[in-house]
Amino acid sequence: MTALLILFTTAIAVLFAGLTNNRSLLQPVTLIGILLALGATILDISGNSVEGWNDMYASMFHFDGYALAFTGVVLLITALIAGLSGWGFRNLNHTLGDNYGLILFSLCGALCMFSFTNMVMLFLGIEILSIPLYVLAGSRRDDLAGNEAALKYFLMGAFATGILLFGMALVYGATASFDIQFIADCISDGRHSAGMLHVGILLIIVGLSFKVSAAPFHFWAPDVYTGSPNLITTFMATVVKTAGFAAFYRLFSMGFAPAIDFWSMPLVAISALTMTLANTTALFQTNFKRMMAYSSIAHAGYLLLAVLAIGTEGSARALLFYTLTYSLATVCAFGIYMVVAEQNDDGSFAAFNGLSKKQPMLAVAMTIAMLSLAGIPPTAGFFGKYFLFTAAFAKYPWLIVLAVINSAVSIYYYFKIIIAMYFTREENAYSVSVPGNVRWVVLIGLLLIALLTLAPGSVYALM
Amino acid sequence: MSLLLLLIPLITSVFLLLGRPSAARTIALAATLANLAVSLIVCAGFVNDGTFNYEISFPWVAQAGITFRLGLDGVSLLMVLLTNLLSPLIVMSSYNSKMDTESRYYGLLLMMVAALNGVFMALDGLVFYVFYELALIPIYFICAIWGGQDRIRVTLKFFIYTFVGSLFMLVSLLYVYLQTPGAHSFAWEALVQVQLSPETAGWVMMGFFLAFAVKMPVFPFHTWQPDTYVTAPTGGTMLLSGIMLKMGVYGAIRWMIPLSPEAMHTWAPIFIMLAVTGIVYASIIAVKQSDIKRLIAYSSIAHVGLIAAGVFAWNKAGLQGSLIQMLNHGINVVGLFYIVDLIERRTGTRTLADMGGIAKSAPKFAALFMIIMLGAVAVPLTNGFPGEFLLLNGVWNYNVWLGAISGLTIIFGAIYMLRAYGLAVFGEQSRETANFEDVKTNEWIVLGVIAGLVIVLGFFPQLVLNLTDSSVNRILGAVQL
Repeated sequence: MTALLILFTTAIAVLFAGLTNNRSLLQPVTLIGILLALGATILDISGNSVEGWNDMYASMFHFDGYALAFTGVVLLITALIAGLSGWGFRNLNHTLGDNYGLILFSLCGALCMFSFTNMVMLFLGIEILSIPLYVLAGSRRDDLAGNEAALKYFLMGAFATGILLFGMALVYGATASFDIQFIADCISDGRHSAGMLHVGILLIIVGLSFKVSAAPFHFWAPDVYTGSPNLITTFMATVVKTAGFAAFYRLFSMGFAPAIDFWSMPLVAISALTMTLANTTALFQTNFKRMMAYSSIAHAGYLLLAVLAIGTEGSARALLFYTLTYSLATVCAFGIYMVVAEQNDDGSFAAFNGLSKKQPMLAVAMTIAMLSLAGIPPTAGFFGKYFLFTAAFAKYPWLIVLAVINSAVSIYYYFKIIIAMYFTREENAYSVSVPGNVRWVVLIGLLLIALLTLAPGSVYALM
Repeated sequence: MSLLLLLIPLITSVFLLLGRPSAARTIALAATLANLAVSLIVCAGFVNDGTFNYEISFPWVAQAGITFRLGLDGVSLLMVLLTNLLSPLIVMSSYNSKMDTESRYYGLLLMMVAALNGVFMALDGLVFYVFYELALIPIYFICAIWGGQDRIRVTLKFFIYTFVGSLFMLVSLLYVYLQTPGAHSFAWEALVQVQLSPETAGWVMMGFFLAFAVKMPVFPFHTWQPDTYVTAPTGGTMLLSGIMLKMGVYGAIRWMIPLSPEAMHTWAPIFIMLAVTGIVYASIIAVKQSDIKRLIAYSSIAHVGLIAAGVFAWNKAGLQGSLIQMLNHGINVVGLFYIVDLIERRTGTRTLADMGGIAKSAPKFAALFMIIMLGAVAVPLTNGFPGEFLLLNGVWNYNVWLGAISGLTIIFGAIYMLRAYGLAVFGEQSRETANFEDVKTNEWIVLGVIAGLVIVLGFFPQLVLNLTDSSVNRILGAVQL
């Protein structure tokens, strides 16, 4: 809760500071705000009592261990993204303050999505997260692809919101409450109208699948990811995805868990479809961002396993660890991509040709990020997959076999980058220099990946 | 001690990869020799009663029952000895090649050595899996950066093929792990104690088999192998054929069969049939080869087929034979690939038809080649013989007909090896071999050591058999079929 207040205050401060258009002021203020919020969250995790806050807003929020852990993850990732913003936002002039402010507001929405105990709060959280993003996606106003991305994102997002809201209304109709604990009680007591509840849950699944880009509701993602500015795509692929899944899990584990027999089948189908479709489509991509978009859809398919594993010990922890490792690797990959592609003016894999000769350390970093995304041991990404697959294995062994086959398929497209960097003889003529802040962000990201590799058990300390 | 075997190559590897010193080859040789010394010390202090020596364990993910646990019994020790014996030879045999970014090559090579040592010492299922996969990454880079034509496609095929196989092993491991009582554990003992129904054990065994069969490789999972061996640089081929394929055999002995013995009755006959089919199939192809590197690649499939058949027969002779043969096959195949490399480097060709008459200009080379070739053919009093004899004995005990068919491996082996040797070394000199230079000092050392081992291990196979005897008894006793 303290984190939410700090972030909100920082966001407003950044908006005002944006009037000065002072580049050397805005990034540090944003970063300090995020780090302060992160510090407050760490204090909360390590035992600082937050109960006083929880009773305030008529029990709409509850900052439990789950909420705090995910808050920590997204704050950490946003801090890294803010570190990249010195490079990512270098061409923005008048709208710099707005951009930082919108990112922070969006983050506030994410925090609501981790801690809600009431569906109204969930809905507000999703909207607070999404609306700034619609603007950010189109923040390069003279860029045609950016405008297309923003419009597409907005239309699809609004459509999904409508469906989600309809689903919530039906669940309310069936149980007479927005409080997720009360809904759970209603379902387990049988005091509800089953038909309406089931239709409501299905619509919520559809709405949330849109938000987390799970098939068959994923088709907006590649265009939006490709068209948006690189830094915003990074934010979408990491923080927004984490927030979406944390909310998904929270709603289904605390609210709809008693109806698991009903909603598990559609989710199994969605998960299987998502990972298979995304991985096979990603094989044919030649543009890095498009490939990463499909990769993020594929990871959504794996992450749904955590929702399916609700009720198994360790499923929440698996979700946390997976989103953390996935986000770290993605931030590193996008950070490197940003530097390479924007200096080459080329978004395809060819931009990476011969990078191992030009910037050997950058190539090593990218290799580790790709290996981690592919889940190859001993990288942290492997342990992410390991925790996730173990959690869901007892209930859905065949789905895990499918997931395993899919992760094997994914090697092919992640390795295309490695092949371009190391083994492609024809080099492009561009030189690549690495700005200092990108270097630091990638280094910190890699160190965290290494730390999670050496001590994957640290996730137990988080939650 | 066991940790040292892992840390020496690992730390040197990181130093070589990041520090990029100019004396990379000397540092790499020193590190591998140090590792050899450590493994000899381990060998000297080894208590040979079938238990795990030099055990160390740290909690890794304590809450999930994952411990970083290493230890050696006789079987592990043999494999560790093989790895650390061959790795200095492999480093030295790379001296001839001119490479840009040499430190990277030796760094990856040492990372591979560390991972292989880890695989052979791991006593925790997940640690084993992690090392098993870790070994794949450096060899992928070695083959794809320094390989020959078409290396990118071939090595990616190799990587995906083996990675898919081992993912199925992960699924099997996970399944058995989830059956362990209490808070679950990946410890070897805990996994072995799990009782499975024959049907589920069958699925578990299939998962392991896919991983190990691809790695060995057993027919029909071998299609990646000849291309990869031929395309890889010599050091990579030696690592792959000399040590890496033994990971598959070792995995079957240590993990697959002890974890799912309930399924052996159903699957062992099929596995042996596949292995024996592979022997005959690969031998016939080897006879027909005109490319000498490809010929040895196929001969390797045939030899490993026999080793695999010995393991799946699951009796004392078969297991002992497979262990001693793993060591000897590793030594011989590394020697043969080195000889091929020397020939190719000097004559610029691998085609047998273009060679001939090497003995005239390079008698020392021809003599060393002869000794190693005889070892590969398994002539009595060379190192190949006791292993093949025990293996055939083991398969024979399992089934007479299969034993008889497996015996073809010796006959075919003699045919294709002698044919290759004759075409390369005797006869008229060709344009390519006219000025064939005899062995240089570093080449002499490598080939001399290998030839020495061929003879010593041929005379004293008991050295090796004693090492593994009690461990084999213990494994056979622990696994009730």
